[in-house]
Amino acid sequence: MASVVIATSGFTTLARVLSKSSGIDNLRLAEYPGPMGIDTSPQIKEKLERRVFDALVQGLTAPKPKEKAAAAPRSRNPADIVFAGSLYEINDYFTQQEWTDGLPVFAPTRERVDEFLAYCDRAPDEEIAILPASNLRAVPLNIAANAIMAGCRPEHMPLIIAAVEALADEKCNLYNVGSTSGIVPFLVVNGPIVRELGIEFAGQLVSRGPNPAIGRAIGLIVKNIAGFRPGKNYMGTFGYPLVFTLAEDESTTPWVPFHVEQGFDRNQNTVTIGVTNNWGPTSEPSATADTSAADVALELLCREIPKKFRVYDFPTIGPKAETVMVTLVISPPIAKLLADAGYSKQDIREYVYENARMSLREFTWLTEHTFPRATTVRQKAEAGVLPKEYLGAPDDMVRVLKGPEIVHIVVCGDPNRNRLMSFEGGHTVPTTKEIRLPRDWKARLGEQQKIEEVA
Amino acid sequence: MEKLAVISPAGVQVVEQRGIAPRLPDLAGKTVGEVWNGVFKGDETFPVLREMFRKRFPDTKIVPYTEFPFFSGDDRPHAQQEVARQIAALAKEKGCDAIISGNGA
Repeated sequence: MASVVIATSGFTTLARVLSKSSGIDNLRLAEYPGPMGIDTSPQIKEKLERRVFDALVQGLTAPKPKEKAAAAPRSRNPADIVFAGSLYEINDYFTQQEWTDGLPVFAPTRERVDEFLAYCDRAPDEEIAILPASNLRAVPLNIAANAIMAGCRPEHMPLIIAAVEALADEKCNLYNVGSTSGIVPFLVVNGPIVRELGIEFAGQLVSRGPNPAIGRAIGLIVKNIAGFRPGKNYMGTFGYPLVFTLAEDESTTPWVPFHVEQGFDRNQNTVTIGVTNNWGPTSEPSATADTSAADVALELLCREIPKKFRVYDFPTIGPKAETVMVTLVISPPIAKLLADAGYSKQDIREYVYENARMSLREFTWLTEHTFPRATTVRQKAEAGVLPKEYLGAPDDMVRVLKGPEIVHIVVCGDPNRNRLMSFEGGHTVPTTKEIRLPRDWKARLGEQQKIEEVA
Repeated sequence: MEKLAVISPAGVQVVEQRGIAPRLPDLAGKTVGEVWNGVFKGDETFPVLREMFRKRFPDTKIVPYTEFPFFSGDDRPHAQQEVARQIAALAKEKGCDAIISGNGA
């Protein structure tokens, strides 16, 4: 059936890229000039008459180019050498191809790739996943290439492969990561591998140890294998910080570790992909004469969460809601404080769900002035899309979270500081995969250490 | 400086490319369905476009977006695919010759 898509300026490329990734080339588009959200009704009418309508008619009726047979995908062997040159020339070439994140990269030579493949019991061209939204195939060869470029080490390969499997999972819903709201993936690593690989879980963790390189590798994979290109289909209005890596260590958490809550055994190694639209602030709960620091910590979270735009700016509550996740990052002293006060992780989730509130007046103003939509808060509540409490009086304090289950807790960070932070991100549920280690993992790690000691 | 030979970090294409559906010779007497994603002021733009169709192509029938499910809300991939299937089936049932969808932003 003939069809035309109406898209605003800057989003026509996105529509074409997505269409092509689904196998439809030459999508017909009618471009609306500029961001529609800020236009008045007369401006919208004028633009539709002057710019959009004829394009619509043309799109539905202009004959398509001469029919070509369905084109098989261009076959490219992922083992092919695509360029040879100095490291500087390789960086120039990769930048031209839009394969970098703007920073210099290491060279994915075949010799270096083979060192990474040695840590993976898979054929070099075996399909690990098809990554949305561009629906491109991830194989150990191109996964290793991205990991090398990012500065990873060969023994990180099993972790990176598991993270790719998580990105491909429907739960992770990578399709929507290109949102203009600027969704940043992050990783959480759990299990013995945290210590085996020296992954940082304590102070300044996202900036220390192998954490930055591992996160950067996932960012490059999102770009190069999932096919998200800034300004084309990776549309964060202000761009993206680098993907970051958190890790939990059993010795620092008084609760069940994060991966055990996701259904894994304590001794399994896992990596989780989550998302966030923001970083910080990092509140510092302090006890006073009449309030414990544990109570202050919970109160700070409940005051901070209603400020997170994703929980109210999108219709994230109700049966037809978009997915949203909230991650509480809690430093070990605060975790201990809360545990000692009798709070389990589930208690904290339920406390935050019940007590993170804003006035209905504020919620209504924010939702009706930040994202063009057809129905009012009251209409949504009447239709059962929002809970009945949203039918109350303007000064009623309504809960802003969909439920306690969207709140996730990771214990990490400086063991000497009493700080906590909350992230919120949209479209994704934390997606955890087991890191499958090669058969002789411990021996290989030992060999690697010996090689380094000799070097 | 040492010359290094490198492989590509890019994903491997696997999707077969098909063309778009045949276009209509003209819009006279045709039925056009509106599919709205539920956001970005489609409730304002579609009525304006509907009126323009009425003036320029008086015998073109428009099936308004209110007769199709919104393509928004539940953002899980399988839920969105299900909505797409429902829209396609409804378009056929309502005799649509073409679909206009929006608003992408």
